[in-house]
Amino acid sequence: MRPVRKYHFFYLISAIFICSLSVFFIVTNAIASPSEKEVQSISQGQVLPDLKDTGPIVGNNVCLGCHGQPGLTMTLQNGDILDLYVNPDSYANSIHGQDGYACVQCHTNLGNYPHPLFTATDFRDATLHLTNLCNRCHSGEYNLTMDSVHFDKLAIGVREAAVCTDCHGSHDVHQWTDPETHNLLPAARLSIPATCSKCHNAIYQKYLTSVHGAALTEESNTDVPTCIDCHGVHNIGNPTTAAFRLKSPELCASCHTNPAIMDKYGISTNVLNTYVSDFHGTTVTLFEKQSPDAPTNKPVCYDCHGIHDISRVDNPQTGIEMQQNLLVRCKGCHPDATSNFPSAWMSHYIPSPEHYSLVYYVNLFYKFFIPLVLGAMVALVGLDVGHSIYIRTHRGKPRLKPKPAEVQPSELTETPTKPPQTEPNGEITNEQSEQSEQSEHDSEEASHE
Amino acid sequence: MTSQQKSISSSPNNRIKLVRTFPRFNVSQRWEHAVLLLCIAILLLTGLPQKYNTTLWSQAIISSPGRLNTIQQIHHITALVLSALVLYHLGKAIYLITRRKLPGDMLPTLQDIKDAWSMLLYLIYIKKQKPAFGKYNFEQKVTYWFLFFSIGIMIISGYVMWFPGTITRVLPGGVIPAAIMAHSTEAIVTAIFIVLWHFYHVHFERLNLSIFSGWLNEEDMHTYHSLEYNQLVRQPRSDQDPGDMQS
Repeated sequence: MRPVRKYHFFYLISAIFICSLSVFFIVTNAIASPSEKEVQSISQGQVLPDLKDTGPIVGNNVCLGCHGQPGLTMTLQNGDILDLYVNPDSYANSIHGQDGYACVQCHTNLGNYPHPLFTATDFRDATLHLTNLCNRCHSGEYNLTMDSVHFDKLAIGVREAAVCTDCHGSHDVHQWTDPETHNLLPAARLSIPATCSKCHNAIYQKYLTSVHGAALTEESNTDVPTCIDCHGVHNIGNPTTAAFRLKSPELCASCHTNPAIMDKYGISTNVLNTYVSDFHGTTVTLFEKQSPDAPTNKPVCYDCHGIHDISRVDNPQTGIEMQQNLLVRCKGCHPDATSNFPSAWMSHYIPSPEHYSLVYYVNLFYKFFIPLVLGAMVALVGLDVGHSIYIRTHRGKPRLKPKPAEVQPSELTETPTKPPQTEPNGEITNEQSEQSEQSEHDSEEASHE
Repeated sequence: MTSQQKSISSSPNNRIKLVRTFPRFNVSQRWEHAVLLLCIAILLLTGLPQKYNTTLWSQAIISSPGRLNTIQQIHHITALVLSALVLYHLGKAIYLITRRKLPGDMLPTLQDIKDAWSMLLYLIYIKKQKPAFGKYNFEQKVTYWFLFFSIGIMIISGYVMWFPGTITRVLPGGVIPAAIMAHSTEAIVTAIFIVLWHFYHVHFERLNLSIFSGWLNEEDMHTYHSLEYNQLVRQPRSDQDPGDMQS
C-alpha cells in the first residue's frame, strides 16, 4: 500500500499545477480580447466610444465615424441617391439623442462593422422599410396608425401615404408632448399644421386664412385647433365618411361648449344645444345615436361655417352672420332660397323678445295656454266625475223633489236672451212649459231609480 | 227627419222593448268623423316620435334615415287627406250658407256661456238641476271649435314647415321656427284635449256612439238634449232640420 500513497502525492501536485496553468491562460485570454478590439478601433482613427456605457452595444461614435461624414451616400436600385449622412448635433438634440439611445437600438440588424449592405429599390422603399423600426418601442402608436386613413392607403399601394418618419422625422425626432401630463407642448401645436402641409398644402393654405389658422400662425395662439384636434393623431380617420359627418358637431362642440376657452373670446357656448334643438341638428343628433353610418343631407357645423376656411361670423366678406353670406350656404341645399330664407334658421339664438320674438311669443302663449286648457279640462272632468259619483250614491233620496222649483226661475230669465235665430221669441212660453215638465221628469226619474 | 223605431233586446228574458231613435248625424258627418279620427291618429303616431326624438321609444321607431323618411311621408300624405277633409267640411258649410240651409246648431252662442256657468254651478253643488241642452251642448261645441282651431293651426303651421322656401318668398324667415314651435306644441295640446275631454265625454261619462251609428236613442235624447228632444217630439216643424246638414 505504501508505494501507492507516494504516487498519489505526485498526481495531486501535477493536477494543481495543470489547473493553475489553465486558469492563468483563461484570465490572460479574457484580458487580451478587449485589447484586440481597441486595436481595431484605433486603427480606424477613433477613440473608444462610450456615450453611456452601453456595454456590448456598438457605440454611436462607431457609426458616426462613417455616417457623421457629410457626403456619404449610396445609390439605390432605381438610381435614387440615398443620403447616409447623419448630423451628429441634430441627433444629439433629438429626444432619442438626449435620452442616450444608440444607433443600433433602432438599426438592430447591423451588427459589427462592416455591417450588411442596406438594400432598397428606391428612396420611398427605404423609408417604408426603416419606419417599421419605430414599432419596436412605440408599438402603441404604431398600432393606432394601422387604423388610420394613411395606413389604408398604404395597404392599397399608395406609397406616398404618411408613415411615422414623414411626420416625426427620423434622426431629428423631437419631443412633442409634456412628459408628465402627456399633453401636447405649445411649440408642437404651432408646428403641426406645417407638418401636415408637407403633403396637404392646399388645405394648409385654406387653414392659414381661417380664423383658427390665422390665430395659430399669426398670434401663436394655441387655444385654436390644429389639424390633429379635429382629425386625430395616429388613427386619423377618413373625414369624408357619413360617420365622421354625423360625429362632427360633437367635435366642434368639444371646444365650443367649453367656457374655459370660449369666454376668453366672448363666444357663446350655446352653439351646440341651439343647433341640436333646431330641425337640422335634431335629425343629425338622432342619426348620430341611432345609425352612425347613415348618410344625411342635413347640415352639420362645417356645411355653414366652412371646413378649413372657417371665418369669423362677423367678417363682412365671408362671415355668415351676414344674411347674404349665409344665403350662399343655404342655397347649397335649398337652391330656390330667397333673401328671407336664411332667417328661418335661428342662428344659434335662443328665442327672446329681441331675437326671434315671434317664436318667443308663440312659446310664451303656449306656456300659459296649455296649463289653462289642461287645468280647466281636468277641473271640469274631475267635478263631473265627482258629481256623478255623488248622484249615484245619493240616488233615490226624496230631498231632490223640491229642487226643480228652485232652479226654474233662473232658467226662465235666461231663456229670452237666447239669440233669435236659434230660439224664436214665440217659443219661449212653450219652452218654459217644456222645461218645467222636463225637470219634473228628471226628478221623477231620479226618485224612480 | 222623423225618428225611427228600433227594437233592442234590453232584458234577460228577451222581452222586446221598442226604443225610439232619433237621427243625429248624417252619413257625410259620420264619414267625416271617421276620416278625421284616422287622420289624427296617424298624424299623432307619426308626429310624436319626431317631436320626442330623444326618447328611447321614439328612437326605436326612427332608427334610420330611411325609417324617418317613411314616417315623414306617411305624415305628409295623411296631412293632405286631412287638408282635403277640412276643405270639404268648409266647402259644404259655405255651400249651405249660400243656400241659407246651414243648421247653425254648432255655432257658439251666448247661451253656451250661460249653460257652462249653470253647469259649473251644478257641478259644484250650488244648482241642483243640469241646464237643458239643445242639439249640441256646450261641451260638444267646445270640442268642435277647439279641434276646429287646433286643426287650423296644425294645417297652417304644417304647410309653413313643409314649404319653407315658398313661404319665405312672402313672409319673413322667423315664421318658420315659429310655425315649428306652434305645430309641435299645438299637437300636444290637441292630443291631450282629445284624450282628456273628448274621450271622457263620449266613453266614460256615457258611451256615446251616435257619431258612428248616426242615431241616438230616446232616453239619451231626453236626458242630454232635452231642448231638441222636446222640439222634435212636441213641436215638429217642417223647416227644422234635425241636424244633418243635408238639405
